[in-house]
Amino acid sequence: MSEQLCDLPAFVVAQKVRSGELKATEVLESVLTRMDQVEGKTPSSSYERFEEADLEKVHAFVTITRDRAWSQAEAVDQAIRAGQDPGPLAGVPVSIKDIFCVKGTPSTAGSKILESFISPYTATPAVRLEQAGAVMVGKVNLDEFAFGSSNEASAFLPPVGNPWNPAYVPGGSSGGSAASVAAGEAAISLGTDTAGSIRQPAAFCGVVGLKPTYGRVSRYGLIAFASSLDCPGTITRNVTDAAHALNVIAGEDPYDATAVKIPVEDPVPRLEAGVKGMRIGLSPDYFQLKYPDPESGELREQAISKEIADEVYRAADYLSGAGAEIIEDVPMPNTRFGIPVYFVISRVEAASNLHRYDGVKYGYRFPGDEEDLRQLYRETRAEGFGTQVKLRILMGMYVSAQQYEKGYYEQALKVRTLIRQDFSRIFDQEGEYKLDCLLTATTPTAAFKIGEVYGDTVLMQYADLLTVPCNHAGIPGLSIPAGLNGEGLPIGIQFLGPDFSEASLLQVGRTIEMLTEDAEWRKIKPQILETL
Amino acid sequence: MPEEITREIFDHLVDLAALEMDEEEADYLRKELNNQLDAIHELEAIEFDPSTPVTSHGVPYTEAISSALREDRIEPCKEADEIVGQAPEEQDRYIVVPDIPAEELQ
Amino acid sequence: MMTVKEDLGMSKYESIIGLETHIQLNTHSKIFCGCKADSWKEPPNTNICPVCTGLPGVLPTLNEAVVEKAVLLALAMHVDAIQAESYFARKNYFYPDLPKGYQISQYDEPLALGGTMDLSMPDGELVRVRIDKLHVEEDAGKTVHQGNRRLIDFNRCGVPLVEMVTGPDLRSADEAAQYLIRLRQLLRWLGISEADMERGQLRCDANVSIRLKGTEELNPKTEIKNVNSIENVRSAIEAEISRQIREVESGNEIEAWTLNWDEDSSTLSKMRSKETEADYRYFREPDLLPIRISKAWLDEMKSNLPELPLERRSRFIKEYSLPLYDAEILTEERSLADYFEETVSVYTGEPKSVSNWLMNDVLRMIRDLGIFASELKMRPHHLAKIIQLVDSRSITNSTGKALLDKVQESGRNPDEIVEEEGLAQVSDEDTLKLLVKGVIDANPEQVEVYRGGKVTIIGWFVGQVMRESKGKADAQRTRAILEEFLKE
Repeated sequence: MSEQLCDLPAFVVAQKVRSGELKATEVLESVLTRMDQVEGKTPSSSYERFEEADLEKVHAFVTITRDRAWSQAEAVDQAIRAGQDPGPLAGVPVSIKDIFCVKGTPSTAGSKILESFISPYTATPAVRLEQAGAVMVGKVNLDEFAFGSSNEASAFLPPVGNPWNPAYVPGGSSGGSAASVAAGEAAISLGTDTAGSIRQPAAFCGVVGLKPTYGRVSRYGLIAFASSLDCPGTITRNVTDAAHALNVIAGEDPYDATAVKIPVEDPVPRLEAGVKGMRIGLSPDYFQLKYPDPESGELREQAISKEIADEVYRAADYLSGAGAEIIEDVPMPNTRFGIPVYFVISRVEAASNLHRYDGVKYGYRFPGDEEDLRQLYRETRAEGFGTQVKLRILMGMYVSAQQYEKGYYEQALKVRTLIRQDFSRIFDQEGEYKLDCLLTATTPTAAFKIGEVYGDTVLMQYADLLTVPCNHAGIPGLSIPAGLNGEGLPIGIQFLGPDFSEASLLQVGRTIEMLTEDAEWRKIKPQILETL
Repeated sequence: MPEEITREIFDHLVDLAALEMDEEEADYLRKELNNQLDAIHELEAIEFDPSTPVTSHGVPYTEAISSALREDRIEPCKEADEIVGQAPEEQDRYIVVPDIPAEELQ
Repeated sequence: MMTVKEDLGMSKYESIIGLETHIQLNTHSKIFCGCKADSWKEPPNTNICPVCTGLPGVLPTLNEAVVEKAVLLALAMHVDAIQAESYFARKNYFYPDLPKGYQISQYDEPLALGGTMDLSMPDGELVRVRIDKLHVEEDAGKTVHQGNRRLIDFNRCGVPLVEMVTGPDLRSADEAAQYLIRLRQLLRWLGISEADMERGQLRCDANVSIRLKGTEELNPKTEIKNVNSIENVRSAIEAEISRQIREVESGNEIEAWTLNWDEDSSTLSKMRSKETEADYRYFREPDLLPIRISKAWLDEMKSNLPELPLERRSRFIKEYSLPLYDAEILTEERSLADYFEETVSVYTGEPKSVSNWLMNDVLRMIRDLGIFASELKMRPHHLAKIIQLVDSRSITNSTGKALLDKVQESGRNPDEIVEEEGLAQVSDEDTLKLLVKGVIDANPEQVEVYRGGKVTIIGWFVGQVMRESKGKADAQRTRAILEEFLKE
C-alpha cells in the first residue's frame, strides 16, 4: 500500500496546507476514501450481536461528520486563498471520541441512552482543535460511558476492530480513537484516559497515546465517568503530532474549575534535544502483576509478557546509549493497590455521574404511557444502559451506601495518597532517585481476540495495573510503539513523569522514535492497510 | 464463603440506582458483583497509617495552580432553545413528565 | 381565641421549635454558571444553560460573590468559625427538578460552624437562638402539576442558597415569627438577599415538638413545610402545637410526620412520607476545588460588615437619647437609619425632632412612593433645613409638611421654594390684624357664638385665618390678636 495523504503526519499536513502546497479538501478526500475502504458497516444499537464477517473491518466511527468536515476543510482553503491564518493545525483530519459533546452531532458516549442526544454545545478541547483549523471527520466508538478496556462494551455493534488484525480488540475505552488513527482515518484523535484508556489502546494499535497531567486539559464537555481521574488526551501516529496537539488543547478554561492556570510549555522546541543527562528509572513493580488470589486471598505474582518486557529493556538500552542514566530497581511498593483504589473511586463517582440519565431532559426515554415517574426512571435506565454500565452503577451504590459504616471511599482516597507518594518520592529532585521519568511497559499483554476476555473479570481489571497508578497520582503518561510481538501485534512502552512534565516525556519519546526510525518493525503496516 | 451481597441488598441497590431487571439479569449481575468484592476486600486489608490525608485529585491544587473563582457576571446563554429541544416531551416550553403518585397529600 | 382547655394545655406544656431556613442570595449570576440568579416570572426554561440543566459533560464553576455574601451573613450571625477550607459535597437522589440527579451542597465540611442571633421580643425579653452551621448550595428547579403530569421549569436551578438550621431554641410561634422577622431584616440590611417569602427568596420549614414543662428530653417532632409568609409560619406552628397538645392529652403518641400547611383553609395535612429513608450517599464534589478563605480575604470581608440592626438600635437610644419605639422604627431598614443620622449631623437641634419628622411624614412618603430612603430626592440636608425653618418660625408647621412634597418632587432647596412661592410665615402684626379683622367681619354669627361664651370656637377662627393666609399666618400671634379683637 502506498502512502496516501491521509497517512501523513499531522504536522506535515498542517505545514503543507498552510504553505498552499496541499488543499485541506484534498486531504479530506483521501480520508473519506480510506474510510470507505476500511470501515465496514456503520455500528448500530440495533445489532444484538456481530457476524464473523464483521471481524474484517475497523468500524471505528459511530458518526462520520461529513458535512461538518467539508465546510471546515473548505473554510481552511478559503482562508489560505484570502491570505488569512488558518490555524496551526490547518487541514488536519481529527476524530473525536464519542464521549465528548460536539454541537450539532449525536454525542452518544457509546450508549443507547444518549443515542438520540444532539449536543447543544461543544467540549472545550474539541473547540480548540477546530479553532486551530483542524477538520473534524467524525465521532469514534468507545466502551459505553468509557467503562471498559477493549471497546467491546459499546451499545453500537459491531465493536471496533484493531487495524493490525480486525479480529482483535483495539483496546479501550478509546478504541475507536486508536483504531481510526492507526488506520489513517484521522491524524489526531481526541480521547480520554481514566485508568489507561488512551495509553492502552495506543499500545494495542501501535500508535502514540498521551495522557497529560490531570487539569492540564479542560474536561468541559467530557461526558463524565470518574471526575477525579478523567483526562482528555490525544492519540497520534507520532510523537511530534502529540506535541502540536497538546499545544492546542491544553490550558486554563473558565468552564472547568479543575483546569490549572499554569501556562502551557510548548513542547515542540525541545522535542529533539535528546536525553543526555536524564535519569530514567525502571521498577520491578511494573514488570509483574501482583494481586490477591480470589479464592485463597494469597498474593499472586504474574510476570508481564516476556516479549513486552524485552522491549522495555531494549528501550532502556537505547536511552542509555543516547546518554541517559538508567536507574534500576526503583521501588514503587503501592503500585498494586492501584486497582482496588480505582475500583472504589471510579464506581462511586461514576454511579453519581450517571444519575442524570433518567429520560427526562434528553436522550432515550422509555416509550409508552407511563403514569409513574419513578417507574419511568427505572424502565428508561434499564433499557438504555448496557450490562457493564449497570454493573458499575450497582457496585458504586454498594460502595457508597456502605459509606456510613465502612468509609470505603475515604479509605480509597487515603491509599491514593500512598500511590501518589510513590511517584513524589522517585521524582523528588532532592530525594534518593531524582528521576526525570519512569520507563515501564504500557500493558501486560498485547491485544487479545474480540470475545476472548469479556466483562469485568479479574484479568480484565488487573490489566490496568500498569496504567492506573498514573491516573491516581494525576501525573502525565506517554505510550509509544516499541515493536511487534510474535503474532504481529503492537507492543507499547510507557513513560511516566512528574506533574506538568509533558514536554520532557515527549522529548524522551521522540528520542526513542528517532533511534528506532529505521527499525524493521516500523516498515510493517497494520494488516488492514496491507490489503488495500 | 457466605455471599456478601444478598438478594435483599441487591434489590436495595437496584432501587437506589433507579433500575429494574428480570430474574436472569439480576442473578447474573449479583454473581458478578459478589465476585468483584475481592477488590473491596483487598482495599480493606491494606495496612496504613490512619492519619494519612486524603487525596481528592492526584495533583495538589495549590494556590499557584488553582484558577480564580468566577466573577459574578451574567453570561446569557444562547442555547436555551436547543436544550429544550432535546427534551423527549415538551409543552409550552415546560419539560413534561408523568407525576409521582406517592407525593400526593392525604 | 383559645379554649379554657387549650389555655391550660399551654401552661402545662412547653413547645420546642426549630427552624430550617433557605435564603436565596441576590447575586447577579447563579452559583455555578453565568445564568441570571433572578428570573422570577420569566417564561419557563429561558434562563438556562448546559451547566444548570445538567447536560452530559458539564462542570460547575463557583461564583465568588456567593462566598462573599455567605461569609457576610456568617459574620453577622456571630459564627464560631469560618472555615479556611470548606468543601462541596454531592447529595445524590432522583427528582424531576434536580437535573443532575444530585444537588451540589455542603455536608460535613461546611463554610461556617456555630452562630447565634438574639431576638428582642415585644415584651422586652431577649431570646438567644443558636444555629449549628451555615452552608451554601444550589437551588433546584420548579415543577407544576397538571392533571397526572408534571411540568418542569429549570429557570431556578442553580440559584445560590444559604442554609441555616437553628437549634431547638424557640419556645413559641411568636418567637419563631420574630426570628424570621429579624432574619429578613438582617438579610436586607446586609444587602445579600431581598428575602421576600412570597417569592421564595426566604423559605422556612419548622420542626415542632412539645414536652411537659420541667422535663429535659426532646420528643418526636413534626416538620411543617411549604409555609410562604411569616404570618403563615406563626399560624401553622400555633395550629400544630394545639394539635400535639390535643393528641398527647388524649393519650396518643406524636409521630414524626411531615406536614403541609394550606393557607386558604388554615389547616395542616399530612404528606405521605417517602418510601424509604433517603440514602444521599454524600461524597466530596470532585469537580470543584475547596472554598479557600485566606486571612487577607476574611479581613477584607470583615471590614465590609456594617453595624448590625440591633447594635445600631442600641446606639440610637444611647447616642441620640431616643426612646426604643423611635429607634426600632428608624433602624428597621438600613438606608432609613443612614438618612436619619445624616440629617442629625447637619441639623443643629434635638435628634428627637428629626425622628418625629422621619417617623411620620417622611416614612409615609417613602411608603407611598415605594422607594428606599436613599432614593429620596429630598436629601438629608434638605430635611434638616425644613425642620430648621419651622423651628425658627420662618414657616408654619403645615407649610413645612407641604414643603416635604415640594422638595421631593423638585429636588430643590427648601429656601428657594419658600422664597419663590412666598411661603414665609406671616408674622407682621399689621398684616395679621388685617386678616383677623377680615375674618371677624365676614362671620358675625360665629362672633356672637364666641361672645356668647363658647370660647373654644376660637380654634375655628384661627383656622379661617390660616385658610385666608394659605397656611402662612403665625398661628400663635393670630390667636392672640383674635382674642384681643373678639373681646369687645
